[in-house]
Amino acid sequence: MRIDTFRGAIRLLGLVLPMTLVASSAQSQMRAASRAEAYGVSVSTPTVNQKSPYAVLPTGEAMSTDQGQGVSIAGLVTAHDLFAIVTGDADPVDGSNAVSSATLGAVQLLNGLITADGVVAIASSTVGDNAVGSNAEGSSLGNVVVGGVEVSDPAPNTRMDLPGVGYVILHELRPTGDGVTTSGLTVNMIHVVLQQPILGLLGQVIGYKTVGNIIVGSATSSVTR
Amino acid sequence: MVRMKSLALLAAPIGVALVVWSCDPQRSAVAPIIGTPLAHFHEFQCTPFKMTGGGRIDYPPGTAEKNPPASHRYETFGAHVMDQDGDCVADQGALEWVDHRPEMRVNGQPLNLHATEVTFAEVATDADCRDGAVHWGGKLRVQNTGQEGVDFVVWDCDDGEPGVSDGFAIAVDLVVNGEFYAVTCPESHAEPTCTLTGGNRQFHPTH
Repeated sequence: MRIDTFRGAIRLLGLVLPMTLVASSAQSQMRAASRAEAYGVSVSTPTVNQKSPYAVLPTGEAMSTDQGQGVSIAGLVTAHDLFAIVTGDADPVDGSNAVSSATLGAVQLLNGLITADGVVAIASSTVGDNAVGSNAEGSSLGNVVVGGVEVSDPAPNTRMDLPGVGYVILHELRPTGDGVTTSGLTVNMIHVVLQQPILGLLGQVIGYKTVGNIIVGSATSSVTR
Repeated sequence: MVRMKSLALLAAPIGVALVVWSCDPQRSAVAPIIGTPLAHFHEFQCTPFKMTGGGRIDYPPGTAEKNPPASHRYETFGAHVMDQDGDCVADQGALEWVDHRPEMRVNGQPLNLHATEVTFAEVATDADCRDGAVHWGGKLRVQNTGQEGVDFVVWDCDDGEPGVSDGFAIAVDLVVNGEFYAVTCPESHAEPTCTLTGGNRQFHPTH
């Protein structure tokens, strides 16, 4: 009786175990993912919605690019020599990676309120046996001037107020993922948040509401194990 | 009549196969000789692999230090190559290369090279790159001028994660400012590759 039970258990294990392994392997293969996205300029306001040049890594592909000689959106932004390059690979065996870059030459925002010459945004993510992580190494801002003030090599997430306009975040970093099975990062080299005051009953300013965003030099990468 | 039909049935697949064969690019595993490394990238192996990623190089000098951002003395790129069969013939590949240096502007734009065909891909066994090193190349188009069919070769180094000492170098059969265009670094640990200042190269040995 005991031997029959034991044999039955072995048979059951023999049937169930391979199915579990196959399911687990299939699951890990399905989960491995690589995502990359980059753009030169993005303007989002109630009247303008534009993103150019814009490259997104297509599923199953290893690279995508886009470029533009110039972008001009009246009163908001002008930029020259724009390139967006994204690469990546979802590999459940050797590890996945994603690298995206956006580069620009001379840039002018809000009729010269902000200027820069030489913008590079790079986001890089890797996941494998030995490493999981993302970084913005290689990102840089050249000759940045905000409201007449030169800002040399701004630290990540440097915020400066723009009176009557809103504020700007220079070298903005937005990490994503759990750092174990997923990792990602978005780098926005110049992010202007356009705001309008909210007035109280007596006409006093009681807060601000966001009415638009201008982003110059954006790179995003993320990977899943 | 039946014989004619049989003959047609036999000839049709042969014809289709011949057309497919004629359309297939006749890749060669022979690397063009453009630029010559001194101490590394001399011994190669034909084995399945894939190399992916991209990034930034600050050349010259091409070390791990960034040049001042406003100098525009940097290059950015994306590149991948795959040899599925281990025969040193590239099955897939792409390269987008942008040289932002002011003196490299062509027709008012940064020099922009776009691979139209990747032909050979071989794994280097004598390069100082922890995870893998590859020598590959093919033909490219100069986007600024539309010039097609220009030979290029690449030296590609994955020196571990997260990519801070990975390397990349390129030589092109193209004269810019009176000299053959090349971004190579003879002083680097994986000569002739220049050290990445951003991004990552990832070698996949099992493809």
